[in-house]
Amino acid sequence: MKKLVAGTILMVASSSAFAVAPGGPDCGWGNMLFEGDSGIGQHFLASSTNGTSGNATFGMTTGTNGCSANGTLTYGGKSLIGSIMNEFSQDVAMGNGEALNAVAVMMGVAPEDRETFAKVTHENFAILFPSENVTAAEVMASLEDVMRADSRLSKYVG
Amino acid sequence: MFYIKSDHLSEHSLFDRKITGLGLFLALFFCFFPNLVSAATSLKVAHLHELAIEKSLWNELQWKNLLHYELDGWSNSHYISEVDDSRFFNALDGKNNPKSELLSTITALYNKDDLGDMHPQCRFTARLKWLQEQFPGEMNDVPNVTCKEYEKWRQLIPSHRVTLIFPAYHLNSPSSMFGHTLLRIDDAEEKHGSHWLSAAVNFGANVRSDDNSLFYAFKGLSGGYPGFFIVESYFKKIQEYNQTEKRDIWEYPLNFTPEESNRMVEHLWELKEIEFDYFFFDENCSYRLLELLEVARPGIDLTSSYGLSVIPVDTIRSIEEAGLITDSYYRPSQVTVLENLLKQIKPENWHYIRRLSNDPSILSSDEFSQIVDTEQKLIIRAAYKYLRYKKTGEPRDDKSATISFKLLTALSAVNAEDIEQPPHRPLRPEKGHYTKRASFNLGKENEANYAEMGMRFSFHSLDDNQHGFLQGAQINIGSILFRAVEDESVELQQLDLIDIFSLTPRTELFDPLSWRVYTGLERQLTSGNYRLVAHVTGGAGVAYQPFDDAITYALIMARLERNRGFERAIEPALGLNIGMLYHFTSSTIRIELSGEEFAGDEYRHRAIYSQNFALSQNHSFKITATREEQKDIDFSEINASYQYYFF
Repeated sequence: MKKLVAGTILMVASSSAFAVAPGGPDCGWGNMLFEGDSGIGQHFLASSTNGTSGNATFGMTTGTNGCSANGTLTYGGKSLIGSIMNEFSQDVAMGNGEALNAVAVMMGVAPEDRETFAKVTHENFAILFPSENVTAAEVMASLEDVMRADSRLSKYVG
Repeated sequence: MFYIKSDHLSEHSLFDRKITGLGLFLALFFCFFPNLVSAATSLKVAHLHELAIEKSLWNELQWKNLLHYELDGWSNSHYISEVDDSRFFNALDGKNNPKSELLSTITALYNKDDLGDMHPQCRFTARLKWLQEQFPGEMNDVPNVTCKEYEKWRQLIPSHRVTLIFPAYHLNSPSSMFGHTLLRIDDAEEKHGSHWLSAAVNFGANVRSDDNSLFYAFKGLSGGYPGFFIVESYFKKIQEYNQTEKRDIWEYPLNFTPEESNRMVEHLWELKEIEFDYFFFDENCSYRLLELLEVARPGIDLTSSYGLSVIPVDTIRSIEEAGLITDSYYRPSQVTVLENLLKQIKPENWHYIRRLSNDPSILSSDEFSQIVDTEQKLIIRAAYKYLRYKKTGEPRDDKSATISFKLLTALSAVNAEDIEQPPHRPLRPEKGHYTKRASFNLGKENEANYAEMGMRFSFHSLDDNQHGFLQGAQINIGSILFRAVEDESVELQQLDLIDIFSLTPRTELFDPLSWRVYTGLERQLTSGNYRLVAHVTGGAGVAYQPFDDAITYALIMARLERNRGFERAIEPALGLNIGMLYHFTSSTIRIELSGEEFAGDEYRHRAIYSQNFALSQNHSFKITATREEQKDIDFSEINASYQYYFF
């Protein structure tokens, strides 16, 4: 699974043209920083009552929640970075954290290189997050560039 | 599309009576319907039916687990499935006939292979595997079906380990006061290494977002919601509970083998979009999860001991008693993290947190740059977290995005060691006292001796031992107290339907409301006579934490009382409630001044001192001294109580 997801995300990221966000506009790639959680509020009741509003879902399965059903194109129907960009940016600023680790795993970074991943992304905070209006797709593209420029991480971005 | 299952299986009574003739019957049957399955297949199916009947396979525990059969509560002699969805069964009478369902399932698995993902083999993955295990070598000849959707799903869903997840109590939302449980399925550690990417398995009611909380409670009690299993990425649950709802999360890895975990995942697929009735108190999220665990490891009994209600924390106890829990991890909420961060910042620097969250240009001021860099880092982090916390659930706005970004950039640039200490880990919730309570009291009120017996059905009072519970949160649902006074018969002293008291201390960063609501019957001394009165009482105010383990509070209260000793049928009153709670390691002191003034000229003023001594997890001793003043009388009461907690 790791390989699969990472592989396809890389494929997407390398295909440079982000004029149209992959998977469609609701797929998370167009999310700006500090935007990812804006949808949670309206589900507050549903979530606090242990329920779900709308479709009963088997979540990670179908990949059709707002994304074109391209299956493996995105993580569980949404781009992971689009879903956890706030947590990821915070972890990159600190240089550690679980969101950072989740992205490393998604990128296929082996356990022995995750410390390097954390260090390199932290040092390149300003490149990954050049402004508050950066989108998930742009962060993904910069992440690839940053990894490619590092001798230990370049092997994960083909 | 043609479904074999119901057509010739409505003939299942034939299987019972005349098995040997059955093959012939089926062979003839299929002569007339040649496009169903071949005669060889129908002979094979008949053979398997024969074997199944020989072994009475439908009586096997795992068959009952997989089909969610329970003994019918009324007759206690036949089984009925708790699944309320015809798509889950292969036999027409599958819901209440384990035998017919088993035979029909065997037949259905041999359906022609042109149904794709709709083929019973793809729909009933765990049943297929279990039946194959029951007939070693016999069922390898099922038609070769490709289940594309299932295989795709299995690629995304881990299946190596199972972890029980308990998002802890959250008082300000009535439906999650008792906590919640879900399961997490993890990949092998070495392969994956991020629980954020694990799958969360949740059973919940399908609540419409325009239902309000009260309506939810009512419909939940009456079974008005269909329940479903839901699978999604675990990070979404972290976002939901830790961030949006401010609930701490407890994680308990279970000792299931990969094979057992895999069995659960195979069964989970069978439950996709399958409808159960959802009852808030018994057949709720926690109960259904226990059933999944029973499928994973047949033979463990987690569900049979429950009666009227399943409180999530009690299910943790059952799972622990069954020897499944290996460890525990604490995942503090954003609020817990922020409060903990605040404690590590010098109080004289607290003012920077709010100010920075409005105006990050202070970062470059002289006064700020004189602060030690490690402390600077804590302050910036707190300011950033505080701002994000305030914006939770709100649409993105440019101003706060700009400020957040400046704080984050500053945080990434501080070249200082990270000295933040993680929050202190509280006692595990299941190690707290049990949720039902019986009490035996002796006392003296207004010069009369009495003895009392009381029972509380759930859950926690402010003066019970707080370990394992949310501090300052009292939830009592259904408590009753009888009193026997010398030379008189036994009488109802108090009946509380509901009593919720939420004390959330205000801090530098948060200013929540504290509130109390309780209603029921209680015996009150009114103009010289004891009378049973009905009342609704509620109020709101503030609470503070002057030092660790202490909470002080002040609330303005309003009350409606039905009291035959009063002139009006229903008498309104206004009141005050001021008090302090102090928690020692195993003792809790409560001092309270309260009173109410009625619209007539009646009033009651009370001073109460109580102290609870926890003798062990489930035994405690409590003393209470009260002085009450009314228009025409002053009196005292002392009470000594032994309390036993159980579930």
